[in-house]
Amino acid sequence: MPTSKVEKMKKALMRSNTHLLLSAVMLFQFLAMLLIAFQKQSVNLQALAFAVALPLVTWSVTALMGRCWPVDRAILILVMLLCSVGLISLSDIAKSNITPRTQAIYALGGIAAMFAGAAFIRNWRNWRRHTPLLMALCLLVLASPYMPVIGIYKNGARNWIGLGGFSVQPSEFMKPVLILCLASAIAFAAACCGILLAEKDLGAVLLYFLTTVAMYYAATSNAFISLVGLGMGAGAAVLAYRALPYVQGRIAIWKNPWSDPENLGYQLVHALIAIGSGGLFGMGLGLGMPRNIPLYHSDFIFAAITEEFGLIFAVGLLAVYVIIIMRGLIVAFNARTSFHSLTAFGLVIILGLQTMLIAGGNTKLLPLTGVTLPLVCYGGSSLISTFFSMGLLLGLSSMNAEDEARDIETIELKESNVFN
Amino acid sequence: MKELRRNMRLVGALLVVMFVGLAAWFAMTVFTQGSIWASDVRNNRLRASNSLRGDITDRDGNLLATTAEDGSRQYTQNAAARRALSQTVGDTAGMSGTGIETFFSATLLDISASLTDRLSELFASKQHVGSSIQITVDGPLQAYIADKFPEGYRGAVCVTNYRTGEILAMVSMPSYDPYDLTGHPNANVEDTAYLNRCLQGLYTPGSVFKIVTLASALSNDAAVTGQSFSCAGEWAYEGGRVVCAGNTAHGTLNLKTAFMRSCNVTFGKLAYQLGLERLRATAETFGFNENFKFGDFVIYNSAFPTQVSGMNGLVWAGIGQGEVLVTPLHMAMISGAVANGGTMMKPLLIDRVVNTQGAATATGKSEVYRQVLDPQIADIIADFMYQTVESGTAARAAIRGYRVTPGSPASYRTTPTPTPSPWSSRAAARARACPASWPPGR
Repeated sequence: MPTSKVEKMKKALMRSNTHLLLSAVMLFQFLAMLLIAFQKQSVNLQALAFAVALPLVTWSVTALMGRCWPVDRAILILVMLLCSVGLISLSDIAKSNITPRTQAIYALGGIAAMFAGAAFIRNWRNWRRHTPLLMALCLLVLASPYMPVIGIYKNGARNWIGLGGFSVQPSEFMKPVLILCLASAIAFAAACCGILLAEKDLGAVLLYFLTTVAMYYAATSNAFISLVGLGMGAGAAVLAYRALPYVQGRIAIWKNPWSDPENLGYQLVHALIAIGSGGLFGMGLGLGMPRNIPLYHSDFIFAAITEEFGLIFAVGLLAVYVIIIMRGLIVAFNARTSFHSLTAFGLVIILGLQTMLIAGGNTKLLPLTGVTLPLVCYGGSSLISTFFSMGLLLGLSSMNAEDEARDIETIELKESNVFN
Repeated sequence: MKELRRNMRLVGALLVVMFVGLAAWFAMTVFTQGSIWASDVRNNRLRASNSLRGDITDRDGNLLATTAEDGSRQYTQNAAARRALSQTVGDTAGMSGTGIETFFSATLLDISASLTDRLSELFASKQHVGSSIQITVDGPLQAYIADKFPEGYRGAVCVTNYRTGEILAMVSMPSYDPYDLTGHPNANVEDTAYLNRCLQGLYTPGSVFKIVTLASALSNDAAVTGQSFSCAGEWAYEGGRVVCAGNTAHGTLNLKTAFMRSCNVTFGKLAYQLGLERLRATAETFGFNENFKFGDFVIYNSAFPTQVSGMNGLVWAGIGQGEVLVTPLHMAMISGAVANGGTMMKPLLIDRVVNTQGAATATGKSEVYRQVLDPQIADIIADFMYQTVESGTAARAAIRGYRVTPGSPASYRTTPTPTPSPWSSRAAARARACPASWPPGR
């Protein structure tokens, strides 16, 4: 009898009724892909396949994961929504069908990674013993672009490795590992930042650094040291500005992209033109010209989405991230050990900061740093690693739900003892 | 654990607040600057758009530009008026980049019209017509000024309403005909005709800059009104000398008579007395060295030197020479601020934007740009300026029946006497109805 009660509780603790959200997301996916499929004279069969596959995959992933563990379904559905916004935009704007297809394959890999992440965090009991090993591995992977055969120099940064025509970005994959390690040892982060700085991956440096400071503060409540850390970071940023012409260029363009609209400012000027053309409601899915923006599928996908879907949708997209962040924070609050709590917290912070950096960069609020828009923009490394991170978060949420169910059961047992 | 939760809540809240800030900033910039971004000449969407451009009308609704049945763009019929308004209205090829046609092309084409509008037009098989723009400029007035502009000269005239900031006219000479652009078979476009000198012409202000020097002197030391100066027509100092126009020796002067006679020696001494830092501070309050972003148009930034070579540079800066540079519209704003009790208004060019359904989607609102002067000091300067017209060096600016104060050669802040114009006499009627009453009846 008690086991079935626990089951019931587990279900209740999934908290919200997410059927409505799930239906809305599925409807959005279906309609948007349908629109793309029938846009031109010839029917886009791939988009038509997506129109069926996207809602189906979303539904089955939600059902399957919900069946396995009592995860926070809202986070899961919103993660799937963000991923499908990326797929929809890419289906519409990418120059060939290969890009969205590849992205879909990455997404499937990412979903697998999400399950793996959830299973991993649920079963990783003796994390205290394993972290040093993990750290060593992480540093090795981060430094791998310097290895003779596999290192690749790309867009002014040495942060890719390649093997047989297949290239990955190690700094993306190390994000969840950093969080896991940070949750147990902060000092390790400095080494990560050092390597990234040497590789000129400034966006990642900023992200790793800010996340580290936030987690350090949360873990130790030492506001003084955290502020000193931030100050030192600011000092380092000024030094970087002085020393690296590449950074100076970025800042100058951020201040006034129109000062050099044909060269350095080219990307940002075209992003702003696209955003301005979109206006409040957007030019309409498939009616804009987001291909005029350079890197429309990666660094500037947020501008491309704003052009086609409009300002209101773009702000809504930011709101989806905020909801994931807030639900993630609840997971962090309810976790039973400080390690799990910090892990959830760190995952949420890095997701938020990354979104902030790239959305701010696209809209000229912040200087542009080449980080990805999580779950939306094209690229396998980022997509799979973010899915894995979300898997960790979902795994933690399911552990919380089970713990709470167990608590309630204990209380009920006590109460029944009192009455009998 | 409790502390951990508290810290996480703090950092989490900070992150959420950052997101709210990002969204607010994003929405605000798109709202205020989106159409300007979209109007960029590099925007291929404008050329790809199959919408028709909306109308451009002046403050009284006179058509300045419209799209004909056959889709061609039509401008004012009267050739002289068309030329007078050329840089203000712009042209289809975007030759005059600051013109409404170019700078607001995204609005005129309405390239981000809502889907429902597009669908309803699709069903009615109508071509989409963009928004119409009404500008604050008075077409007949601008044509009148261009007509009176001396032949063969280059220059600009700005007329603004100093209380609201509305630009009533901005004439730039030479002008061009939007029908005969460069590349057109019978085109004969004069050099620099595409330039709107009111906004893009940077000039050495000369004596009108004495308003700023005077303002600086009065704001920094009220006793300066009682000070007496002597002028021998020339003042030699270490490293240079300054002379008055025609080497006229003005003799003993006070501040008021020195201003009325535009005495270079006295104002050179005033600048020296003030020092570069104080003079520059006042100039910067008036908008020099500032990156102007008015939204309705692009204007070049006026400059006041941050460093001068010795005393000579400072003295010459005080009488508006040397490295001081200003646009005619900015100069009109400066004298307008004096007339308006020290309040500089943000210049307005767009009166209303009306969409195809006839609803106003944007209206120009009068906004204070900055309180640049103490009202009392503004009154003193205004009185000095009035006296300069009554019996000083600007006597030629006097208009019978009106109180006139000199702003700059390029900006007489008054409505000219009515004469027959290419349009009706409505503008003239209004000119009669509201003579340039000055100083403001406070």
